[in-house]
Amino acid sequence: MTGRIRIDGQSIPFADGQTVMQAASGAGVFIPHLCYHPDYAANGSCKLCTCKIDGKQVSSCTTRAVDGQVIESNTEELNSERRALSQMLFVEGSHHCPSCEHSGNCVLQSMAYKLGMTALMFPDFTAGRETDASHPDLLINRDRCIYCHLCVRASRDSDGKDIFSITGRSENKSLAINTDSGLLKDSGITVDDAAANVCPVGCIIKKRDGFSKPIGQRIYDNRPVHYNKIKQPSLPDLDREPGRKLRVATCSLAGCFGCHMSFLDIDERIVELTEHVEFDRSPINDIKTCSTQCDIGLIEGGVCNTENIETLREFRDNCRILIAVGACAISGGVPALRNNVDVRELLEESYVNAVGIDNPQIPTDAELPHILEEVSPIHEVVKVDFFLPGCPPPADAFWQILTDIVEGRQPDLPYDLMQFD
Amino acid sequence: MVAVADSLVHDQLAKYRRDPAFVLQMLRHLQLEQNIITSGDIHVLSESLNLPRAKINGLIDFYSFLHRRPRGRYDVYFSDSITDHMLGSREQANLLCELLGVELGQPSANGAVTVSLTSCTGLCERGPGVLVNGTAIDRMDDARTREMASLIEANTPLEDWPLEWFVINDALRKKGPLLRYEPTRGKALERAIAIGPEGVLKDLETSGLRGCGGAGFPTWRKWQICRSSNRRQRYVVCNADEGEPGTFKDRALLHGYADTLLEGMTACAITVGASKGFIYLRHEYEFLRERLQHRIQRHRDTNLLGRNILGHHGINFDVEIFMGAGSYVCGEESALIESLEGKRGIPRVRPPFPVTHGYKGKPTVVNNVETFCYAAGILEHGPDFLAHAGDQPGWKLLSICGDCKSPGIYEIPLGTPIRDVLEACGAHGTQAVQVGGPGGTLVSSAEFDRHISYADLNTAGSFIIFDESRDMLDVAVNFTHFFAHESCGFCTPCRVGTKLMVQMADKVADGHGARLDIEQMQRLNKLMTQASHCGLGQRAAVPILTTYEKFTDSFERRMEDVEYKPAFDVEAAIERSRQIVSEEALSR
Repeated sequence: MTGRIRIDGQSIPFADGQTVMQAASGAGVFIPHLCYHPDYAANGSCKLCTCKIDGKQVSSCTTRAVDGQVIESNTEELNSERRALSQMLFVEGSHHCPSCEHSGNCVLQSMAYKLGMTALMFPDFTAGRETDASHPDLLINRDRCIYCHLCVRASRDSDGKDIFSITGRSENKSLAINTDSGLLKDSGITVDDAAANVCPVGCIIKKRDGFSKPIGQRIYDNRPVHYNKIKQPSLPDLDREPGRKLRVATCSLAGCFGCHMSFLDIDERIVELTEHVEFDRSPINDIKTCSTQCDIGLIEGGVCNTENIETLREFRDNCRILIAVGACAISGGVPALRNNVDVRELLEESYVNAVGIDNPQIPTDAELPHILEEVSPIHEVVKVDFFLPGCPPPADAFWQILTDIVEGRQPDLPYDLMQFD
Repeated sequence: MVAVADSLVHDQLAKYRRDPAFVLQMLRHLQLEQNIITSGDIHVLSESLNLPRAKINGLIDFYSFLHRRPRGRYDVYFSDSITDHMLGSREQANLLCELLGVELGQPSANGAVTVSLTSCTGLCERGPGVLVNGTAIDRMDDARTREMASLIEANTPLEDWPLEWFVINDALRKKGPLLRYEPTRGKALERAIAIGPEGVLKDLETSGLRGCGGAGFPTWRKWQICRSSNRRQRYVVCNADEGEPGTFKDRALLHGYADTLLEGMTACAITVGASKGFIYLRHEYEFLRERLQHRIQRHRDTNLLGRNILGHHGINFDVEIFMGAGSYVCGEESALIESLEGKRGIPRVRPPFPVTHGYKGKPTVVNNVETFCYAAGILEHGPDFLAHAGDQPGWKLLSICGDCKSPGIYEIPLGTPIRDVLEACGAHGTQAVQVGGPGGTLVSSAEFDRHISYADLNTAGSFIIFDESRDMLDVAVNFTHFFAHESCGFCTPCRVGTKLMVQMADKVADGHGARLDIEQMQRLNKLMTQASHCGLGQRAAVPILTTYEKFTDSFERRMEDVEYKPAFDVEAAIERSRQIVSEEALSR
């Protein structure tokens, strides 16, 4: 059957046997997706391509186009569901963009940008699955697998090797290699195989290839034309009489101060900014405590020890609007890479086994804060009102949201200021 | 030892004609015999069946009762279903662990025993239920648990355990046409052959019979679609994977009405033109298998199954039992077919439905045990078989369990109000009934005038009663965990969503809940309902939210009236650091 379907008001043709997804991409209409690939039979598992077809939500990659179908895709409702699905995939695996070799070339990351995902919202699962580095040219980081089955399909259907399987069920699923050893090195896969090139995330990656292209030249650094704008959470009212300067406090928890450095990169605009804001507690002015009721708190870094918790709670108590700034505050970031390592091993690595240590011992001074078993994003400890992603967020992003708040608007993050690394 | 194990796997390969579709049967047998599927077994199966090793591992890891790590020689599973909870299953499991000095889920050091929990064992009205090496034992109490511990410690073979432990009786409390039906052997079939396929479809249509597995699809229509497909080979499958917590009526039918079931299946086969059928029997019903197998053999011996049935040339049909291996989602018909084909039980993309593209891609009728039994009754007695005084034809077997005087099986006419059901089973002080299992509907006492019917409260049979002593939040938390455990993990909203729901439900139950958690659960529920691949994910978040709606008190008792409250536990998070620092301080 051939005919036409109507997607978001636009009438497009389809050919016999085509799915809604195929018809849409044929007509240049973008429907967000992760597990769909034009070369392979549809899988229908990621559910990002869910559309409302004749009033009912179904996967567009597995639904046949039928003449006269009315399809909604680019709507606030569907896009916010897709954003939640992206968030779910981020927390299920360990998707820390700043430390991922695939960042900038990652389809999941790019989808999250398109869907306006600034924060994870759900607690991280700290996956801790096995890594396979046995192959000379390829590496599997299972923590990043999103179970899209693309490598399974590519190896079976394009390479004729049938190397990959999915095993386990529920949260215990895992990507398995069809060899007696279970190792990739024995599988006969080569870097040129379709299966080695199809992974949409940083799960199957090429060795000696990571970070080879500078930021700006990677696939998704060129902002795609499709951007489904999504409403960001609205901020609490600042209740401010005209002319009063906003009080801004900032701090860095388990972070590198890179976000603060980026903030200072607004350069001479800081002069204009100080006409509207005054700084409270901040490393910029070296004030150590939040003095009075602040308007905005900018938190860089994740929560790694008891001192971080105290600081964070002080900020929450004293700031009307609390903003998580950068990857570490939002997801734990680089420090969270330690989350699968036992605390003793961490302490020994730092205080006993490290190079250049004179008196190797784990410090026991009662004054020192205890380190937490895991580094947490700040929204798991206090309520956070807004998230400013990036590692670091660009200076323009700081400028944008601060001027928005100063001028009494709900802050908005344009797509070209959205980045996770 | 190696030789014995090797011969076991080769026996299985021979028994199933080296057909990869039966690999699950082989694996299950190896597990039950050896308490493990060894790397060597997997190697032999992989070579002999030409299946990649990872695919076999994938199967083992998918089904709850198959293991690549050793289980104890006594492999004990306590049912973790809500009704077993209410009857003290956790206490009995803990007691057994304590007596045997083992940890829940961990094999004992000497390899003698593993005690763990499993989803519903289908002994809900006579719980707590337990499976030992695949065999069911009901009504666990302190005395039984203590005796079981001694038997295990004395290494007593299962054959020498008290015989009465293994006798599972069925409480048939209220009989309607089906439970009263005493079939004249072969009569339903004779009549089906006499009136011909069109006559059978007509009778079924007139009778108003609809699928009893929960979906309620008109049975005649399903059979007709299968029959009218232009493919030559067709199949009939009986769904005896009764996994919905709180359901046990199929258990009773498979036990006491097997002849009726077989005649119903055969009549279906004759009508649709199938020559091969399967009974997909859940792992937990192993204790029914042998008897069912005898019945099948008797049907063959009396020419009710096999070639030229009842002397009619060209009417051939035979039935084989296929055992499940522990997966709730396999109760969904397309997942069941995947499992029957020897694969992981992941629901297929539908359409196409199994009735046109089923087992091995061929048209397949999948019906519930109860549906086939009713069909046999209709064919023997005519289309009035389901008639009763009410205005909607049809009866339903209810598995009634939970807080009532007389739990058991009740055959009730469709249209019966909840109130009448409660009265019949002697329930007092009832605050709620869960109709249709965790994926069904929670009915509060204000709604007891609602009735069991396709239009109102549709159920595959589960009917769980909660009296005023029960905390409904605990019930919802149990259901939420159940779904997370049973999610097949295929699609994102269910795989991740069920786990997030568990985190949030536990957070509220532990007293850390706030308004934002409820909002988050509501948003997630909407997403899971609308985007999940199958009914499991679509229903998984419903219990907790329906409970919030109808039993708000049970939540508010454990919540502060605040917008946000973190689950973050500082003390727990620094426990490890404290321990290391104090060890270090002491060692200096």
